[in-house]
Formats: sequence, structure tokens, C-alpha cells
Amino acid sequence: MTRLLMTGASAAALIAMAFTAEAQERGGTMTYGRYADSLFLDPVLNDANVDIWILSNLYDTLLLPTEDGQGVQAGLATDWTVAEDGLSVTLTMRDGIMFSDGSPITTEDVVWSLDRARNPENGIWNFLLASVASVEAIDDKTVTIRLSQTDPSILPALTVFNSAIMPKAAFEAAAGATDAEKAQAFSEAPIGSGPFVLESWERGASMHLVRNEHYWDMGEDGQPLPYLDGVTFEVIPDDATRILRLQSGEIDGAELIPFARVAELQNTPGIQMELFPSTRVEYITLNVRPEIEGEVNPLSDPKVREAMNYATNKDAIIQTVTFGVGTPQTTYMSSATPLAAGDGPLFPYDLARAQELMAESGYPDGFSTTLLVLAGNQDEIGIGTAVQQMWSQIGIDLELQQVDNATRTEEYRNGTFDMRVAAWTNDIADPGQITSYFAYSPTIDALHSGWKNEEVDQLFEASQSETDLAKRTEQYARIQEIFNATGPTIPLYETPYPVALQERVHGFVQIPLGNNIFRSVWLDQ
Amino acid sequence: MSTPEYLARRLLQLIPTLIAILVIVFALVRLLPGDPASAILGDRALDADVERINREYGLDRPVPVQFGIFVRQVLTGDLGNSTSLKVPVAQLIAERLPITMLLTLMAALISVALAVPLAFVAALRRDRLADSAIRGAFQVGLSMPVFYLGLILLTVFGAKLRWFPVGGSGDGFLDLLYHLVLPAVTLALSLAAVLMRNLRAAIIDVVDADYVTFARSKGLRGGLILLRHVLRNALISTLALFGLSIGTLLGGAVVTETVFAIPGAGRLMVDSITGRDYPVVQSLTLALAVLVSVTFLLTDLLQAWLDPRIAR
Repeated sequence: MTRLLMTGASAAALIAMAFTAEAQERGGTMTYGRYADSLFLDPVLNDANVDIWILSNLYDTLLLPTEDGQGVQAGLATDWTVAEDGLSVTLTMRDGIMFSDGSPITTEDVVWSLDRARNPENGIWNFLLASVASVEAIDDKTVTIRLSQTDPSILPALTVFNSAIMPKAAFEAAAGATDAEKAQAFSEAPIGSGPFVLESWERGASMHLVRNEHYWDMGEDGQPLPYLDGVTFEVIPDDATRILRLQSGEIDGAELIPFARVAELQNTPGIQMELFPSTRVEYITLNVRPEIEGEVNPLSDPKVREAMNYATNKDAIIQTVTFGVGTPQTTYMSSATPLAAGDGPLFPYDLARAQELMAESGYPDGFSTTLLVLAGNQDEIGIGTAVQQMWSQIGIDLELQQVDNATRTEEYRNGTFDMRVAAWTNDIADPGQITSYFAYSPTIDALHSGWKNEEVDQLFEASQSETDLAKRTEQYARIQEIFNATGPTIPLYETPYPVALQERVHGFVQIPLGNNIFRSVWLDQ
Repeated sequence: MSTPEYLARRLLQLIPTLIAILVIVFALVRLLPGDPASAILGDRALDADVERINREYGLDRPVPVQFGIFVRQVLTGDLGNSTSLKVPVAQLIAERLPITMLLTLMAALISVALAVPLAFVAALRRDRLADSAIRGAFQVGLSMPVFYLGLILLTVFGAKLRWFPVGGSGDGFLDLLYHLVLPAVTLALSLAAVLMRNLRAAIIDVVDADYVTFARSKGLRGGLILLRHVLRNALISTLALFGLSIGTLLGGAVVTETVFAIPGAGRLMVDSITGRDYPVVQSLTLALAVLVSVTFLLTDLLQAWLDPRIAR
């Protein structure tokens, strides 16, 4: 009986799924509430998530990230082959593809776009294509990217926003003498080949995108994507107002819902409270230099750091700061990052162990230190207040210093801070980026902490050209083992991206790298 | 001294004020820790990128040279480009400042429209129920933080009753006015409370003054006395207070614009300070200073008209 019922239920579910899968409706404009406006819509010269996370709607790349953010799939290129020696990638362009102005996308545009993206003079993302030696158009369908060394992350790099394909002729015709000036003029009315086109932009208030009539991909109904006529971004910086506008039905979706409001919205009829898997990790960075501004630094003692890690009750912080939404970290990178290792939470709370370690350290009687938190940021202030209380149990007298972002960045870059709260999100589906900043000392002294480990540096350098996945996995296992045990951080938690949507919104995704994908969104009319 | 002379003297006085503001804001924004490069690039900044950005915006040049460039920009009206938004500063100010001016103007009008009649009622019904009720209600308005009051108004009149939009700035001028009603009321309430209390006290003083008793004894009608003698004299001190409050109102716009998602100059200022956007902070401060100075000048002229002794 039970089995029969279950079979019946699953059949009904299947029918329902099949039904909804065919029920895409076309038309309409989705209004999406963002916490901040974009700054600069150039794929190569932008610097911030407010741009990165929406650029893929305007500009298309040769390859696209998969929805789980781990792999690659066809984009403007339909086929790609990495040569046997790993020193080149050959891509075949899709037939009949066009920019939003109707002009054809040529291999010349591809060569020009990738050359611009990898030019070390241009922007801060060219490191993603650092292994590229040259880009050549073989014919009007084929492009070959030659590498100066093998690069296991070259395919994911071709999905990242900065390697978007732009129209060479239109860009060069834009006003201005330098690349930066042309980029400014061009990005006021950008021409790309993403599913949408920028129609109007009232800075600080709203941005309106309309569907790109020349977009190449097909919807489930056999017609060209996107389903929507357009997307409107409304800039609503205040969290409470953003949620109110969603509740009043004035907007269809709202990003960055504060964790404190997630449970409430999960129980609000007519609202879908989505928690999209992300690569975001929250942690505390410790300055581990022997001296900071001439004073002896207790944080340089590995036993002290280990004690602090054990004295930090991550589950309690996850409850109080993320209201149970976050999960403990098993390694310094998010579990959604390829090659992430680790089994079980790092440094599970153990006060007795922490007190023992402190007694064995060079500071058995404790010490005073400071933690930089972002002024007005509830999460960071909550973390600061929690660890202040937790570390008092092992004799650490912690002073919280609330500062604004630019102030903190300066102390961070100068290496004059004691500790700071920080968060990280990957831009590429590869462990190389986060590891380069966190663990590989030549990039930024391992999060400006002064931490350095020869073995990690060597392993990282080797892994950057290691194309044998098994070997690279081993290298990364060892890097993570060393960094997790002795590194300059206190890992706190991973959190998803909290997005609230009206019930009538279907098909929206924010992928783990943060990109907001509107191309398959459709609305109940 | 005649009014044109008075005006000329006051305009001349503006020049040193603005020069002082020019110097102070240029220095202050550079004394803040951090710089445009660190704000733009954030935690992932590499030294080479910081150098590139400093070069791009001329921040690698000696400070006196930068100041010279700033002065030249102000004099020519070409204010350079925003370091965070990459668009001309003049364009940004032209887009954002009028919205804030409109919001401030609406708030000022609403506060006057609320304060003047209620002050009369309260003063003429002194210590009676109406007086206590008006003063009590304003006390509540005055003691509530602006962002909280804004959220309450948004929730009640926006989300629940749907009389007004829940923030944003709308399309076109009329829609903008409609969107600005709730934020203007939010801003107006605390100012109205201050004005009402001040005006009430002034009216009470004036009503008992000899010249009002005299006017009454001449047999003038009550309404005319209130308008010509009581209001005109009571307004003098309230007007001074009103002029001074315009600066506060502009300050309040910073919070209101964030809560109501209005793309005005207040939010631009906050964003530019956190973004260490030197060109925008410098020019916008100067523009706001001019605006406040002009408001002071106008209220002084009005006061001089109400009380000709002031211009002397």
C-alpha cells in the first residue's frame, strides 16, 4: 500500500515536473533589487563584484561555467581541445553568432578581446590569463590559444568575465585616446553578445536591460533565449527597504538578504527564499610577523594561533551571526571549490585543549591585541563580539576597532594590523586563485599576514602547471594540510548567497562564483 | 545701507568662505586613512595595480600640484572624473544634486506648512488640551531617529496601505515628486517640531506686546492683526532658525536617501567618502557649501525685509 502510494506520488511528481518544464512563459520584465549599483561595465577594467556578478548577462565568453560552478560548458565556442602536450587550446566557434548590434562575431574579435584581457597593463584580472603566450585565428571558425607553460586552469579562465568577447571595431571606434578612455565611452552603451543589452542606466538608481534579439542559445520551447523581455536592476542599499519592496510586490527579487531575515522570509507565503551554494568563506586573518611596528607579536607563536582556533566556538558563531545558515569550514577554501579537501570541521571547539596550548605557549598569562571590524557591518561586529568573549577564556584581552573599508585596507596592505575579519569569494572555478592570495607568499604575503611556508610555495608553483589531475589533487591536499594546521587564519564559516524571489519567478540562479544568471528566467504572467 | 549694497557685501563675504572650504576639504579628504586605489581595489590589491591607479588619477604627483589642478578644475568647471564611477564629476553632481535640493525644498515647505498653523493654534490655546496635544505629538517626532521614522512610514504608508511607493525615484518629474513625499515628510517632522516650538514661544511673546494691544485697541480685525503684526514679528527669529536648519536638513537627506533608495547627493557623498573618491568629495562639498551659503543669504534677505533694522 505504502509502496503503491509512493509510486503514485513520484509519478505525480514526475508529471508535475514534466509539466512545469514545458510551461515556460515568455515576456515580462524582472525587477531585481541590488544593494549597490554597478560602477564600470568593462569586462577587463572593472574591479568589483557589483560589476562582475552581472557582466555575464551583457557579455558572453567562449566557454560558460556550469551551474554548479565547478566545470565548463559550451558558450560562443562549441568545441575545445587541449593539445596533447598541454601547450595549446583550439576552439571552434559557434555558427552564425552575432553581437547585439547584429554584426557577426569573428575570430578577429576573439583574438583582440583575449589579447586585451591578458595585457598586463589592463586591469587587475590579467593574471587569470598569465600563461597565454599568443592567441591566433587559424581560420574564420577556429582560434588557437598557445601557452607559455601548461595551465590546468586555462579552460575555467575562458569562462571568467574578463575573457568576454567584445566587438573590436565598435570598441576602437569609441571616443577617447587610450584603452581606458575608450572603455569608459564604450561601457556607457556596451555591445556584447550576452542574453541582454543595456538600454538605460540612471547611476545610483536603476539599470534597465532588454533582451538581445541576436542571442545564440535556445530555450526549452525551441525559441531563442532569453524568455524575458528585460531585466531592471533597482539599487536599494538599505536591507530593510529592499525586503519591504519585495514584500509589497514592487520588485521580483532581492539580493543579499541579511541572515537574520532568512527564516522569516522562508515562512512568508508567496516568497521563495533561495540559498544558492557559494564559494564565500568568512575568516579572521592574523598577522604572524614576529614584530608589528616594533612590538613583539604574540600571534607569531603557532601554539597561540592553535589555541585561538580551538577556543573559537564556530557553531555558536554560526548560530548567532548567520542564524544557522552558515556551515563550518573543512578547509580554508569553500567546499564548492574544485580540489577542496578536508573531512570534518577545522579545529572543533575544545576549550580545555585551547587552555593547555596557551599554557605551553610563550604567553601562558595571555596578552592584549586588536581586531579590525568593518564599521556598521552587523556580521563582522557580531563575530568580533563573540570571539572577544570566547578568547577571554584563554587570557586574551581583545579590543575591537571599528573602521571603514579604505582604512582597513591601508592597515592590511601595510601589514600593521593585528587581526581582521575578512571574506572571500572565488572568481574562477579553480583552487589556484584563492591559494595564490591565501597561502602562496609571493602574491600578497599570504593575506598580508607575513606567513611563509617554503613547501607550500613550491607545491603551488608546481601545481600551476600540473595538468595531471591526480598529481594536482595530491599537491593541493598537501597545501591544504599545511595551511589548515599552521596558517595565519581562523576559519569561521561558509555561507550561501541569500536571494529572495517572488513565487512567479522561475529559473533564476546565482552560481557559486556569484554571477547572477537571468538568461533562463521566466515569469508567470 | 540699501538692499543692493547689502547683497553685494554679503556676496563678497562668500568668497573667503568658499576658498576656506576648498582648502579644508582638499586637505581633509587626504588626511583620511586609505586612498582611492585601496578603496577601488580592496583587499586583493597588488602593489602594481595601486601604482597604476595612482598614476591614472594623478595621485602620484606632489600634493601642491594636485591642489593646483583642483583649483584649476573648479575655475574652469571641468571637475575631472570620479575615481569610483569613472564618469565626469560635473555630470554626477548635475544628476544627483537637484534631487536632494528638491527633497530638501519639499521637506522645508512641509515643515513650514505644519509648523506655522500649529504654532498659532498652540500659542493661542496656550496650556490647553490642543497645545499639549500638538507639543506632545511633535515631541515624539523629534525624539525618533530619522531612519527609524522613515522605515515606519515606509512600512505603513508604502507596504501596508500602498498609498506611496516603497522608495525609489520613479520615472519623470511628477513621479519623482510622488516618490519624494514620504522621505520629505520623514525629514520635515523633526524640523517642524523645532520650528513649531520656536514659533509658538515667539507668538506668545508678541501677542502680549504693546503694539499688538495697540493695534487691537485701534479696532483692527483679529485676522489682520495675526498676519501683519503677530506673524511678521514672530517669524524673525524662527526664520533665522529655519535658515540654519537647511544645513541639518541636507545632512538628514544622507540617511533618508539611503532608507528610501533615492539617488541623491547625500548618498553620493557617503559612497564617495567610503570610496575615497577625492574628486567627487571635493567638488560635491563645495557645491553643497555654495548651496547652504545661498540659503543663508536668502534667509538673511528675507529677515532684512521683515525687520529692516537687520540690514543696517
